[in-house]
Amino acid sequence: MENIIELQNISYSYFNKIAALKNINLKINRGEMFAVIGQNGSGKSTLLHIINGLIQAESGKYLFKGKEVSDKSLKDKNFSLEFRKSMSFIFQNPEIQLFCPTVMDELLFAPLQLEISIEEAKERVEKTLEYLGITELKDRPVYMLSGGEKKKVAIASSLTINPEIILIDEPLAGLDPKTQTFFIELILELNKAGKTIIFTTHHLDLIDHLQPTVAVLSEEHTIQKIGTAAEILTDEEFLISVNLIHEHIHRHGEEVHKHYHSHYVFHKH
Amino acid sequence: MENKIPSYLLNTEEINIHSFQRNKLPFIDRTIHNSAKAIKSIYTQAENASKKNIINEINPKIKFISLLYIAIVISLANNIFSQFLLSCFILLIIISSNLNILNIYKKILFIAFIFGLLVTLPASLNVITPGKIILNIFSFSESTKFWIYHVPENIGITMEGLGVVALFFLRVLNSVSFALLIVFTTSFPAFIKSFKIIGIPDTFLMIISLAYKFIFILSKTIEETYMSLKSRLFGNVKNKNIRRIITGRIHFIYRKSNLTYEQTYQAMLSRGYMGKIKLISEKKLSTTDYIALSIAVTFGIFIIIIG
Repeated sequence: MENIIELQNISYSYFNKIAALKNINLKINRGEMFAVIGQNGSGKSTLLHIINGLIQAESGKYLFKGKEVSDKSLKDKNFSLEFRKSMSFIFQNPEIQLFCPTVMDELLFAPLQLEISIEEAKERVEKTLEYLGITELKDRPVYMLSGGEKKKVAIASSLTINPEIILIDEPLAGLDPKTQTFFIELILELNKAGKTIIFTTHHLDLIDHLQPTVAVLSEEHTIQKIGTAAEILTDEEFLISVNLIHEHIHRHGEEVHKHYHSHYVFHKH
Repeated sequence: MENKIPSYLLNTEEINIHSFQRNKLPFIDRTIHNSAKAIKSIYTQAENASKKNIINEINPKIKFISLLYIAIVISLANNIFSQFLLSCFILLIIISSNLNILNIYKKILFIAFIFGLLVTLPASLNVITPGKIILNIFSFSESTKFWIYHVPENIGITMEGLGVVALFFLRVLNSVSFALLIVFTTSFPAFIKSFKIIGIPDTFLMIISLAYKFIFILSKTIEETYMSLKSRLFGNVKNKNIRRIITGRIHFIYRKSNLTYEQTYQAMLSRGYMGKIKLISEKKLSTTDYIALSIAVTFGIFIIIIG
């Protein structure tokens, strides 16, 4: 499979003080489902921001389809257009992602900026609204939507450019169980349709559901391990060492148990 | 199982309320109340604009053109009768738009009273508008001259002065009522987009829309922040501490809005923003729009002729 994204020794810190990523090396193939997991503050979201070209690494090299992504290359209109058309980002907080007056404007925004014809853009918007079952929200102002609706609109707005790669920051954050299931199924469907999916999470059950290739970020902001979902999920000691599973106390009637727990994968007594 | 809970959490403390103390924190309630009001007004506006009725369905572009046109008509109509006819015309539209008449006229009359009546009231006196006095207010022994001003013997309200005040009041009343009618019956985003027809660039329109959205987000943030403050502040708080709290909250809200702006900018970049925004207004003009425009134009011409 063709290598579509390559990170070589990428490091990043906030205000040149707080380290977020250290010497990250990654290769992501076209059509792959790829997850970055790690505890809160390990640098998962920062990594997605770098992949989306929103912030630039302090050191290292980021290659997109073999071409370097940098401040300089993103100033080149042709490269920038190709790069933005290829990749869309579903932010963790849809409140921030949605900035247009109405749902329709929101879905049209990216296609119009990326020089897709108005007719084509409108057709895509109609089809996407229908696909996600939110046609009735078309003319609603964004601030009048519920949390779940906002998330769906955020997803729809990132699909209308027909991206090759979809970046998703914490797919299940703040969603009710029904919307979570909807989103998981959608991710699987989009991946099956050939889209490269890159997402971050600290929910191991999501990894079990989607079976992606997994990169594990540690507390030290480095990649500790890359492997298949099965390889990662079965390595209990490793998951304890990166704080993705923890000792957990719970009750069975009058009896109190203490064991390692990951909310889904391990529940050993 | 080892219990790590701090010992003080294991005791239930009795709370003694010694005496009644005046609430020193009314600013919290006021802030919560005002931010809630801002959120409510945005909701109310959006809800009104989404109701199905003939006025709401008129294309925002037509409403915007009508607003400019009627403003010109109002300033050209120079007699009370024509202004009165305009008031009736606007009232009829407000009735047909299913708006809460009492609510909207409360706002209209308040603004018209301040800016149309109070401001122009002195013009009803013979000192400013000479004419036949119909109500004498004050009498001097004789008329005097002061610099370039002539102060007459009797000061009172003149018929001509009342006419000037009434005309001005009706002008303000008509302008405000037509503007509020448009605001309450049009979706704000759609109305902003209609500014395109007078050549306002898309980027500027986007900035107005973003500002409107941020008022909503910020009001919510302020409401939540002050709610949490309210839940933790009680009893005898020193004034010095209150000032510190307010300063801290203002700073926090400033930082939060700054962060929101940065994140939104990143979201825009991610979706292809390259320094110039392109928007489209998707609605085409319908027969209803043309009829509405014709009615407004015909009525305006009639008013200009008789006025």
